[in-house]
Amino acid sequence: MTLHRLAQVPRGVQCFVGDEARRRRSIERRIVEVFEGWDYEEIIPPLYDYAEVFSDPDLRPRTLSFVGREGDVLALRSDFTSLLAKIAAGRLSQRSAPMRLYYSGEVLRDEAPGAGRQSELHQMGLEHLGGDRCAADAEVVAIAAECMDGLDLADWVIAIGHIGVFTRLVESMEVDPESQEALRERVDAKDPAGVRELLDARGVSADLARAIGALMQQAGQRMQVLPALEQALAVCPPAQVALGELRELVSALEAAGLGERLLIDLAEVRGLGYYTGVVFRAYAPGLGYDIGRGGRYDSLLGRFGREMPAVGFMFGLDHLASLLDESDAAPAEAEAVRAHELGTALREARERRTQGTRVRMDDGANR
Amino acid sequence: MSLTIALAKGKLLAGTEALFGRAGLPFPNGDGRKLVIEAGDLRFLLVKDVDVPTYVEHGVADCGIVGRDVLLEAIPDVYEPLDLRFGHCRLSVARPVGADLNPRRATTLRVGTKYPRVSTGYFLGHGISADIVPLSGSVEIAPVLGLADCIVDVVETGRTLRENGLEVVEDVATSTARLIVNRASFHTRRESVGKLLAALEGALERPR
Repeated sequence: MTLHRLAQVPRGVQCFVGDEARRRRSIERRIVEVFEGWDYEEIIPPLYDYAEVFSDPDLRPRTLSFVGREGDVLALRSDFTSLLAKIAAGRLSQRSAPMRLYYSGEVLRDEAPGAGRQSELHQMGLEHLGGDRCAADAEVVAIAAECMDGLDLADWVIAIGHIGVFTRLVESMEVDPESQEALRERVDAKDPAGVRELLDARGVSADLARAIGALMQQAGQRMQVLPALEQALAVCPPAQVALGELRELVSALEAAGLGERLLIDLAEVRGLGYYTGVVFRAYAPGLGYDIGRGGRYDSLLGRFGREMPAVGFMFGLDHLASLLDESDAAPAEAEAVRAHELGTALREARERRTQGTRVRMDDGANR
Repeated sequence: MSLTIALAKGKLLAGTEALFGRAGLPFPNGDGRKLVIEAGDLRFLLVKDVDVPTYVEHGVADCGIVGRDVLLEAIPDVYEPLDLRFGHCRLSVARPVGADLNPRRATTLRVGTKYPRVSTGYFLGHGISADIVPLSGSVEIAPVLGLADCIVDVVETGRTLRENGLEVVEDVATSTARLIVNRASFHTRRESVGKLLAALEGALERPR
């Protein structure tokens, strides 16, 4: 039987009940515990803001905007990082760096259907603003790792790269912006045939082509391939510098016992345009897309008037919840309070509540 | 290695079987109507070609084998690490032999196609407004019956076109079979995926 027209749901919205709702709250609680354990402070940002806050080229077409009463173009929050950068530059402008902030809430997006894409996504993440870059990068990767361990996820991996390697290589090719975008798209698909076609048509040198090829070829390998990659990048010293930053981070993570979890992926080059340095994605068996992602964005805060390097990451609660079957046990059965007279029953229930007992008012109607 | 591979039922199947044979990889023997078949340590899903990217994008299959033409239309969020160099064909604009591309002299061209996204992009890119008539088969008869002015479709030998009184005006893209890999499987099942990639690459490099 078809439901009443108003009881049907529009595309993209979600509603969670029972076990599912409990599972989400349980995951959220465990992750927030980790965030707070590393001294991150919760920020509850607004649900909407000026549309311009979300003007990253990748974000804008997916942002739901509307016109406010005073004629301003406003938008539902489609990204926490942009909002937190704004808050750090505005509301928290007097705070000194480094700042450690976290959030947990929904973003709303106008998404075309696809794996792992929804209009309403619950994200839990953190931002480390200011401070030493390498130390901050290492800290946030370690926190992400602790979250996944804390959720008892088996065999998770973090694929880590540095957006600067690809960017510097492309800069040294001196090709037009359209070709750069086409190249970014094909490198991201790890499609060597497509990349070769693009590079051949633009007369890019064989050395540079080999370097780009190495980014795709070595993707997914262990960190032992870093020296080979460094050699492949000899044609472009600025790209080597970027790789050097990644090496420094990786050796810190290895020293901290996380080496076994790391894979290299310098061909992960799409996504939000504000990333400038180290980028990473977390994967676990059983889910066809990443469960979390993050990276360094050193120029985003400058857009809001406070130049400051920053790094952050987030987990998709929806993705984690679909991966984890078990949830907290349903709460123990409540004690039924019944009496023939409502006032008496209510008094008894109130008394038991002061003792912390779980009660259920029983009006006799459903027996 | 225990991977799940989505295969497109139809014209790519024979080429895939030949390549897997040369690579020393197990392959399901083509009997019966089973759609999920285990062979060696691989599990194969036999699905419609346009559904291959969907199975792989969602991670139901770790890998898939599908034509580039299908990928251009679907733009799935997957890796495409290997050109398998068989299943050569072109995506072309075709019209009735000798006819004007735009016989009605209308400002908007009517295009019959199974590739609405590719066609829209192609005509807009050439500054031509196109009214796409989405079809799912027998596209060649659309111009003959006046449903469309021209078509955008896959052309292998051109025989079907000729038999329906059509000729190619221009190529939109070329296509071969591709190996696609799920983004998460690529990292979480790196060893198995790496072995499959190496076996197929080896077979492609070896002279036949």
